[in-house]
Amino acid sequence: MLFTLAMIAAKFLIWFLRFTGSGGTTLPGRLAAKIYPGILLRLSGKLNVILITGTNGKTTTGRIISRILEINDIPHLQNRSGANLKSGITTAFIEAASIRGNFSCIMAVIESDEAAFKTVAPLLSPKVIVVTNFFRDQLDRYGELLTTVQNVKTGISQCPNAVLVLNADDSLSSYIGREVPNKVIYYGIDGYNSSRSSADIAGADASNCIYCTEKYQYSARTYGHLGHFFCPGCGFKRPEASVACIGVNRLSLSGSDVALRFDEYEVNNSHSVQINLPGLYNVYNALAASACAKALGVPTGTIIDALGTFECGFGRMEIIEHEGRHIRLILIKNPTGFNQVIDYLFSEKKKMVIAFFINDNDADGTDISWLWDVDIELFRDLRNLVVRFYCGGIRAEDMAVRLKYAGIDPGLIFIEKNMKTIIEDSIRLLSEDETLFVLPTYTAMLEVRKLLGTEFNLKEFWK
Amino acid sequence: MPTLEICHLYPDILNLYGDRGNIISLKMRSLWRGIDVNIHNVSPGDAFYPELYDIVFMGGGQDYEQQIIHEDIVKVKGEAIKEAIENNTVFLCICGGFQVLGKYYKSSDGKETEFLGAIDLWTIGEKKRLAGNIVVELNLEMHGKDTRVAGFENHAGRTYLGKDVKPLGKVLTGYGNNGIDGFEGAVYKNTYCTYLHGSLLPKNPDFADYLLEAALKKKYGGEFSKLFEIDDTLEKLAHDTVINRLLKGLKHKNK
Ligand SMILES: [Zn+2]
Repeated sequence: MLFTLAMIAAKFLIWFLRFTGSGGTTLPGRLAAKIYPGILLRLSGKLNVILITGTNGKTTTGRIISRILEINDIPHLQNRSGANLKSGITTAFIEAASIRGNFSCIMAVIESDEAAFKTVAPLLSPKVIVVTNFFRDQLDRYGELLTTVQNVKTGISQCPNAVLVLNADDSLSSYIGREVPNKVIYYGIDGYNSSRSSADIAGADASNCIYCTEKYQYSARTYGHLGHFFCPGCGFKRPEASVACIGVNRLSLSGSDVALRFDEYEVNNSHSVQINLPGLYNVYNALAASACAKALGVPTGTIIDALGTFECGFGRMEIIEHEGRHIRLILIKNPTGFNQVIDYLFSEKKKMVIAFFINDNDADGTDISWLWDVDIELFRDLRNLVVRFYCGGIRAEDMAVRLKYAGIDPGLIFIEKNMKTIIEDSIRLLSEDETLFVLPTYTAMLEVRKLLGTEFNLKEFWK
Repeated sequence: MPTLEICHLYPDILNLYGDRGNIISLKMRSLWRGIDVNIHNVSPGDAFYPELYDIVFMGGGQDYEQQIIHEDIVKVKGEAIKEAIENNTVFLCICGGFQVLGKYYKSSDGKETEFLGAIDLWTIGEKKRLAGNIVVELNLEMHGKDTRVAGFENHAGRTYLGKDVKPLGKVLTGYGNNGIDGFEGAVYKNTYCTYLHGSLLPKNPDFADYLLEAALKKKYGGEFSKLFEIDDTLEKLAHDTVINRLLKGLKHKNK
């Protein structure tokens, strides 16, 4: 009885919030749990749950998994990006269920915030747990990185039946794999070594051994602390990856051509795969999703199809055409993610305008000092292509100072908080087919998208 | 050409919260004035030369990283670092770097860790972190320049100063050393300690120049000790914007 009441109340609230245009995802779940505290446990018990956590790439990985399930005609629900705390996850289940708590789907692809994972995981009894990676992210909210790793480990230890999908190249994730009894599928990149200096200080999130504090050595590195690590002190090293990228043929703005191995026991085990997303970090996301699909026993061919036909998710990489120019939105949220966006900009060969929107609301992380951990100095090498840098958002001035101290000509740095002005100026500054890159933090992205929708009538773009 | 030798202690380990922004600031503000800069990155196991450096910078780290450097700083480099401090070398030590110069750290479960003991101060760990934006009025003679600095603090430790150690400043908004006495940081000789982590100096250019001048004065006497003005429009804008926002919020709250 209380269960039905909770469902009705929450469903009404979902409808009401959508009707009023706020689209909130927290309140319905919270309300339902207040009326019927066991609601998440009861609803999720009816589905096979894939649970994704980690610092970067949760949403994209979830979306690729969703695409793989779609191609295999497996009906599933998925929580929305950003709705990854307990209440948002509860809302996602309520939304997909009938008032009696029945589902027309059989699986759930759920991303969980790392801090919420410990609480959420035992309630969901996931079949597969995917951990993308651990990087520093919003430390003001989460406390310390190792605390986050320990929390995830604690959550996993309460799900002994889940198959773990772990990033072999991330020492912090591999550490978890060694510490829990679960079955583990490792994924990683074998055929690549970064040309960029591995000594770059910003990348040292986990430079010392988690067991014995000795400094790791690397035989190959991709980015940040990810790579083929080895501890000379205690011998802890990168595990073999059974799902692996064994060759990188092309990395570009539109996507990557890679050779993947999905199963070490397969006879002909190198597959040419096109990943329809830019950058090495998306190769990791594709591998994480592929390893998850292998855990579910999905045919290899459908995984390859899914990777090649995947389309960009919320805010990670969105393109709009306006008066012959492109506007590309790319979310930035932590040093590693930001560094990858810079890497990505290096594959652009045309003139461009770059607009940063830096907010410091709770969802962005209230501490913006991480901007100093980003290799902004690399923008100097793009000086022949970037015609102007705009800085907007609540902390626009801090970003402008960061650019100045990176050695960018102050004459190219403009503090401008009005997105409309930036777009109008950019249309004037750029020629046909050139791009305005808008790089916002999370809440700034919501604002930018809203404005693009209303001012430039680009609504149909956002589904 | 005047040259500053800047030592960055444990840059590959204590590199949390954008601390390298402070090194970038000291370096760029020197170069813009024709002062040459050599950065010496000193890691565990590397030698520390107390007589070589004009400025020593040490940032903060997470507990795990603090643990990594603990033995090196206390047992190996300890005496050399104390010698440099006593000899009036300019030090800027932030968060974990601040705490480790003190006598000890006592964690919330009562475990006491011995620290360097270079300055008479000590830290008690508590569960609740003191985190957020902070504005401090510096307790320094700045010759009419802006004595207010803005930054971000995030620490579980509460630091208390012995009676002969002066605080770096007074908290205008935020927590400071312990959230109780209203003071922030510590000054001892030419050593400046603070909880304002990350990009403290870029946004507070007058304080950055204060440190540079202190180092130049010690090294060259009167000759180079007064830096000429440079265009700080962007820096001042960042500084004023955040301070106005925070202090305005404060007035609002007090109503
Ligand atoms: Zn080890």
